[in-house]
Amino acid sequence: MRAVESSPDPLSRFASRLLETPALRLLLALQKEEQAMNVLRINGPQLIPVFTSLGMDVTRGWREPAALISRAIRAEADRMMAAEITRLLSERLAFSFFPGVAGGRQAPARAKEELRALIVRAAAHPVARSALAGSLAAALSDIMEKYIPQAWERKKYVYVEITRVQHLALSPADLSDLTRCVVLVRPAAYLYVTPGETGDKDVGYSPLQEQYLSKILPGIAAQAPSLPRALISMGLRSTLAFPGSESVEAISRLGAIMAMRGRALSPAAVVDRGADTADKSWFNVQRRNARWHGLDGRMLDEMYTIAAENGW
Amino acid sequence: MRKAGEVLETVVVVAIILVLLHTLLDDYSILSGWSVHARSWIIWVGLGFDIFFTVEFFTRFYLAFSNGRGSRYFFRERGWVDFLASIPLLLLNSLPHALALLAGAGLVSGLGSFLNVLKVIKAVRIARILRLLRVVKLFRGIRYARSPMAQAHVSTITTIAVSILVLWTLGASVMEGVGIIPGIEVPFTDGQLLRAGAIADAGPSPAALAQRAAAIAAIDATILVVRPQGGAVVWSRYAPAYYRQFFLPGDYGYLVSRGVEVFYDERPLAVSAARDGIVFFIAVVLTVLAFLFIYAPRFALQISDPVHVMRRGMSESDYNLEVRIPPERADDDVFELAALYNSVYLPLKDRLGNEGQGPAMALKIGDLQDLADKT
Repeated sequence: MRAVESSPDPLSRFASRLLETPALRLLLALQKEEQAMNVLRINGPQLIPVFTSLGMDVTRGWREPAALISRAIRAEADRMMAAEITRLLSERLAFSFFPGVAGGRQAPARAKEELRALIVRAAAHPVARSALAGSLAAALSDIMEKYIPQAWERKKYVYVEITRVQHLALSPADLSDLTRCVVLVRPAAYLYVTPGETGDKDVGYSPLQEQYLSKILPGIAAQAPSLPRALISMGLRSTLAFPGSESVEAISRLGAIMAMRGRALSPAAVVDRGADTADKSWFNVQRRNARWHGLDGRMLDEMYTIAAENGW
Repeated sequence: MRKAGEVLETVVVVAIILVLLHTLLDDYSILSGWSVHARSWIIWVGLGFDIFFTVEFFTRFYLAFSNGRGSRYFFRERGWVDFLASIPLLLLNSLPHALALLAGAGLVSGLGSFLNVLKVIKAVRIARILRLLRVVKLFRGIRYARSPMAQAHVSTITTIAVSILVLWTLGASVMEGVGIIPGIEVPFTDGQLLRAGAIADAGPSPAALAQRAAAIAAIDATILVVRPQGGAVVWSRYAPAYYRQFFLPGDYGYLVSRGVEVFYDERPLAVSAARDGIVFFIAVVLTVLAFLFIYAPRFALQISDPVHVMRRGMSESDYNLEVRIPPERADDDVFELAALYNSVYLPLKDRLGNEGQGPAMALKIGDLQDLADKT
């Protein structure tokens, strides 16, 4: 708070306070940023009195001051996100899956820093930044720890796909760790997408092509040499549409579902009387939209059943 | 101004709750044979409540009338309940009671004839039933359901049920009063007339009168006092102090038979009426509680909650919760609609939402202006 008060720049101060308003307090940095940007984009002309109160020049319309505020918001969100990534890497990621996917070797010390660098690079790219919002929300949540052990106990589709089709011999805890990493690598798939190419539709969540991913994989892998190539590949391939690409690994399909779920996570949401729970509702809607979003419908069916059985 | 209105509404709700307790206490005091002092307090408090609700009715009616909404207030906003639960009660119940209390025995005996006394008591008894209509008034003052639709619906259905109970009982009492249905007063007063005649048969001698009165009073515990008309008391069941302590005007009846005045105890009738009153009060309260705690939650579960969820889903871009459909109610119209909402609307909304703005806006323009002003 003191840091906010001592900031000399009124725009930075405004951005900082905006992202800390009660309406946004429980959201993650990128979710806050998305909300603030939406308000600016949709209500731009009505915000001229706000810009005037901030001492900004509005003689040439609202776009210029809105752009300046957007920059300040983004800088503030970057600052907040850095703290979130640090927390994520230190508290939520153990890299315990490494031996299982890297030929038995343990995770090198620099692996976390390379993953951090990859995330930071994604945050600097407009489309990848959008993808990162859902990925970070999912990775910081306990959604993997909730669903993967349950799927393991059930020994149905998810379990069979991971253990018998993908041949991954990992414990549920290691698998949660791996899925979290897959979800965090996923935004890197959009690093080479030209902003505007996807026409603002489903930015950061549009399915990509297999050939395209094959082309960018070496480049991304080179940026994080300590991370197993298989991990990078699974992360990038989580952007492939299913069942369009039948060879997509089960972990990638699971990662895609988790990233999408993260995008819609809302910690402040209250379940009304008469409504189904948030997870159950979301998985049920996505079961119907599975093809539309290129997600694995049978995995969604199982997640839905788990959510329904557990009252999530 | 709005805050003052809210405070007044709260005062009215508190007054209604208190007056309902007062109604119960009034009947209980008769049933338990409380002293004159305690029952006098109950009568004065009742008068205060009736004056308060009469003023409330006139105020509401005046305000509604001056805004051209008099008819709407009276018929659609349950002004008729305000009316029935105020003015008739004041004129037929608490005011006669209070006046009788002020005048002592003189008023009751001075009405001239036994039939007149009976009519007053009858009118009072009939009017008392109207007090329970105030339960309905509570529904206007208390917000017990989240949904305005549920609130309005349960209020209406409760008003209908309580009004039918009260008005039917009122009608039955009126029919009893005019003799269409025989009431318990008829055999009671017929018996008193017979016994008064039997006492008068003893002749004008005070000693003979006293002897006959004692003999008849031994088999009829309601005979209180016997005296020659305008003369001194020749027989009394209790000492004068006892009457002062336990008899209010209206607790005793008075009749004259061939020059002999007989005062008799009417409290058994009042006790019977009080017992009926408590039973009726409990029936009304149970009816209301059943609507509030059994029907209203069911209505919410089956109607207003699903509608609320669908309304939010359609009006708020980030609200994507499905309606929970109980399997046993799946064929209800509302849940059939909810099934369409779940299976068609929400998936379409999800597709369109992902093509459009992303998550909805939790921020409002006002939030930004406030922040800008503080920065």
